[in-house]
Amino acid sequence: MKELLRELCQVPGISGFEEEIRACIAEKIRPHVQDMKVDAVGNLIAWKAGRRKAKNELLITAHMDEVGFIVKRVDDKGYIRFAPIGGIDRRTVIGKKVLVGKARIPGAIGLRAYHLVSAKEEKIVPDMADLYIDIGATGKEDAQKLVQIGDEILFDSDWVEFGKDRIKAKALDDRVGCAAMIRLIQSELPVDCTFVFSAQEEVGARGAFGAAFAIRPHIALVLEGTTAADLPELKEHRQVTRVGAGPVLGLMDRQTLYDRELFERLRALAEKHGIPWQTKRTISGGTDASAIQTTAGGVRVASISVPVRYIHTPSSTASLNDCEQLYVLAERFIETIANEKEDL
Amino acid sequence: MTNTRSLLETLSSLAGPSGFEAEVVRTAVELLKPLTDEAYVDVFGNAVGILRCGKPNAKRILFSAHLDEIGFIVTGAEEGFLRFAPIGSIDPRMLPGRELTIMTDPPTFGIITCLPPHVLSAEEMDRSFPMEDLRIDPGLSKEDVLKTIPVGTPAVYRAGFFSMGKDAVCGKAMDDRACFVAALLALEKLKGKAQEQDIVVLGSTREEIDHGGATVGTFSLDPDLCVAIDVTHAETPDGGPKHTDCVLGAGPAVAFGPNHTPWVRDRLFSLARQKEIPTQRIVMEGKSYTDGWEMQISREGIPTCVVSLPTRYMHTPMETISVQDIESLADLLAALMEAPGWEGDCR
Amino acid sequence: MDILTALQELNACHAPSGEEKEIRDCIQRMTLDRVDETHVDALGNLILHKKGTGPKLLFAAHMDSIGLMVTHIEKEGFLRFGCIGGLPAENILYTPVRFLSGIRGTIVPDQAADRSKLTLDDLYVDIGAKDEQEAAEQVRIGDTAVYDTPLNLLGSRLLSPYLDNRISCLALLKAMESIDKSPNDLYFVFTVQEEPGLRGAKPAAFAIDPDYAVVCDVTPAGDQPGSKHYGSSRLGGGAAIKVMDTSVICHPEMVDRLKALAEKNGITAQNDVIVKGGTDAGPLHISRSGVLTGGVSVPCRYIHTPQEMADLRDVESCAALLSAFAESALPALR
Repeated sequence: MKELLRELCQVPGISGFEEEIRACIAEKIRPHVQDMKVDAVGNLIAWKAGRRKAKNELLITAHMDEVGFIVKRVDDKGYIRFAPIGGIDRRTVIGKKVLVGKARIPGAIGLRAYHLVSAKEEKIVPDMADLYIDIGATGKEDAQKLVQIGDEILFDSDWVEFGKDRIKAKALDDRVGCAAMIRLIQSELPVDCTFVFSAQEEVGARGAFGAAFAIRPHIALVLEGTTAADLPELKEHRQVTRVGAGPVLGLMDRQTLYDRELFERLRALAEKHGIPWQTKRTISGGTDASAIQTTAGGVRVASISVPVRYIHTPSSTASLNDCEQLYVLAERFIETIANEKEDL
Repeated sequence: MTNTRSLLETLSSLAGPSGFEAEVVRTAVELLKPLTDEAYVDVFGNAVGILRCGKPNAKRILFSAHLDEIGFIVTGAEEGFLRFAPIGSIDPRMLPGRELTIMTDPPTFGIITCLPPHVLSAEEMDRSFPMEDLRIDPGLSKEDVLKTIPVGTPAVYRAGFFSMGKDAVCGKAMDDRACFVAALLALEKLKGKAQEQDIVVLGSTREEIDHGGATVGTFSLDPDLCVAIDVTHAETPDGGPKHTDCVLGAGPAVAFGPNHTPWVRDRLFSLARQKEIPTQRIVMEGKSYTDGWEMQISREGIPTCVVSLPTRYMHTPMETISVQDIESLADLLAALMEAPGWEGDCR
Repeated sequence: MDILTALQELNACHAPSGEEKEIRDCIQRMTLDRVDETHVDALGNLILHKKGTGPKLLFAAHMDSIGLMVTHIEKEGFLRFGCIGGLPAENILYTPVRFLSGIRGTIVPDQAADRSKLTLDDLYVDIGAKDEQEAAEQVRIGDTAVYDTPLNLLGSRLLSPYLDNRISCLALLKAMESIDKSPNDLYFVFTVQEEPGLRGAKPAAFAIDPDYAVVCDVTPAGDQPGSKHYGSSRLGGGAAIKVMDTSVICHPEMVDRLKALAEKNGITAQNDVIVKGGTDAGPLHISRSGVLTGGVSVPCRYIHTPQEMADLRDVESCAALLSAFAESALPALR
């Protein structure tokens, strides 16, 4: 799991620019699936035969896109103005290193030296529209040789294992889900499954609509990365989820009420197999389930997520064991689908 | 050859806020008829024009330009003055003293109230009054007002279209009827020529509130490629590079971002280069706030892009556009209609 | 049907969004002999079909209610919760609530919280447990609670929790009782998950693929002291014919049709424009290739508070207008 996750986190794949991560995943799963295709929005859809057909058709999904930025303008002096793709807290981008465009030109999100900042200014975080990237160009023309409007801009963040069982990388949301899915695809499954590595989740679950419409599953399981806010300055109940306390079972978030019976099923499975689990202490966030649940005639949705601290920043952090348990619980869930005697 | 300015003036002068577009839609269908094989009003109320190529298994490109405009709706009355709510997004600062056409049959003239400076304090003079504090004055007695203008009656900015300088025109509803005009001009360029794909032009409704027209139109017409044609912000003295990437008169804008399928966008740039059509590059990093956002996720998902007309003062009665830009936009649309470059979609 | 008795029966059901089984079973029992087919879909929508040869007409009334979901149990035995649907903190202070199991409690604020800026984060449910352990014996994370407040008839006015949307469900049920001969193919859908985001109606509309739709909901009246005029209707003004809400502008043909029917049949009615609040009409009207959609609503005060108010005469007017519409000859659209 660790090696797979490390590799996936390093591959670029901002929403709308998923070519590389899609190719990476496709290569890993191709020998293990019956059929694979890429659809109009960029989802990678794969069909894998299991030991038997299920009574209830199962879709398992994780999104392959990550948040990042896009070049809006090159100014007269050769600095780059940019906008976020997906939800990014602008406080976490100041003074960070980024990679611009297909050529991955290194740049720095600059901010005036502290010596030049007044006491009043220090209290305010500038708007993203006022931030800029310095790629060391000598002027506008020089910059335009390397960078164009519309180029993608990636966080530059390496993989670090630290503390106890902790990993830091960009894009843990949702390469943790992708890693679990790849592991599932690479193993033998008790039942036929359709897997969707979705595109453009971070800009509004955009890929999931079309994928769900095409597949029309009865049941969909979403594997995600979710906010962990287990920091000392927050009261317990506002901590959303906690790193190391196990996968998060989806009950309710801002966009979805997960299927109750499927939630109870996951809870019972986790208890039975000694898998640590938790639920969100504060209702927040949304997943591809929001698009899938109301597709066509309706789909029963469930989700399992890995808690991620500093989510949507270059330095997102999770527990390796949580990532492993995500896979284990998903595997157990698939077994219950295989064992269903009749349509639920 | 159609006169662009007179087409713009005709469409700009019609009253058609979101949900109440019937008159504009009828006019749009009449304008589509001579340019297509079939033109009609669909079940939902959209204008549809279909130009068939006559080839078996032909692919279909759907172009959408919305016919609805922002407006107002009556919610009640007090002392002969009407309370109202907006239809679509409206800057309340546009409203004091504003002349309206209230869509009764026949239409009624109304003015949005404005307290005179004599009765306001210095602070109040600086304040923008929220819409809920404003009223419409139709000049009727309090007994008559709701009988003549019942709750639920829509209203629009009073029309007033005029030319500015050599190339600009100014009026209401350039968003997005100017783009519908561009689509008509593009269809005109195809007249008499054999085509390889079916072209559908959708004069969509309800874009300003929920893109309802484009959502159902795309589902119903089930195309292989979608192009939303809408307006985008052009630079003004108080809305410069920090706010927008575009200027008036430098051609239509093609966008980068998740709502714009790369092979379609690249095709547009390549056609523009080939045919020497000036274009501008803009970025829409997320929701495009156009019909394209709903079109892209219809059914199983469809390759989509948005092509935009630079516009100053969007959502005011003074929307300003360049006639030259419309004609360049029409050239670009026609080029895509004739050769969309399906081979670029290598899925 | 006696509306008061029927409302008591529905209010006894525990059915916040996502857990509509009790009310679905109850409505199913009430409608057994009035329809030809019954179906429950993947999300729990109750779809009742009264066959006809004419155009497909879908009536929708949501059966879910707002509620609370337990998200965390504090060490001292107090419960933290999330809202199911719209629940402003100021609406629910010191409100009695009840869990499915029958456990009761009250919603209280953190004593240190700023009362002028209260959020749900500042609130707890106190079920009288002395500590976390005792609380955990009675409730689990994920358990839901609903308002536990009384239903009273005040002259012709009802004061009750959950008039949103049970009073409209009853208007629709009453209409179903009185539909005599209809040329149309009728679908009565009691939808799920409307409160958190108009979710159930979308798949139901897709599956049925109707030509016309009429949504039955409550609508905020604008007739209270200091009203900000979020809604144009008033209690006693009759069935509120929907022109606009935040999720839809109804097709003028539908509005005109409903107005004409009301006039022809002597049914008191009023035009309804609201600027806060969306309904199932939102997802219904943009289903597939589009559905001509209207709304017939019960004007209601204090929506989403523990005691909502509506006028029985308006409910009767709604029921009459709904059944008149069901029986009217509608043009075929395809």
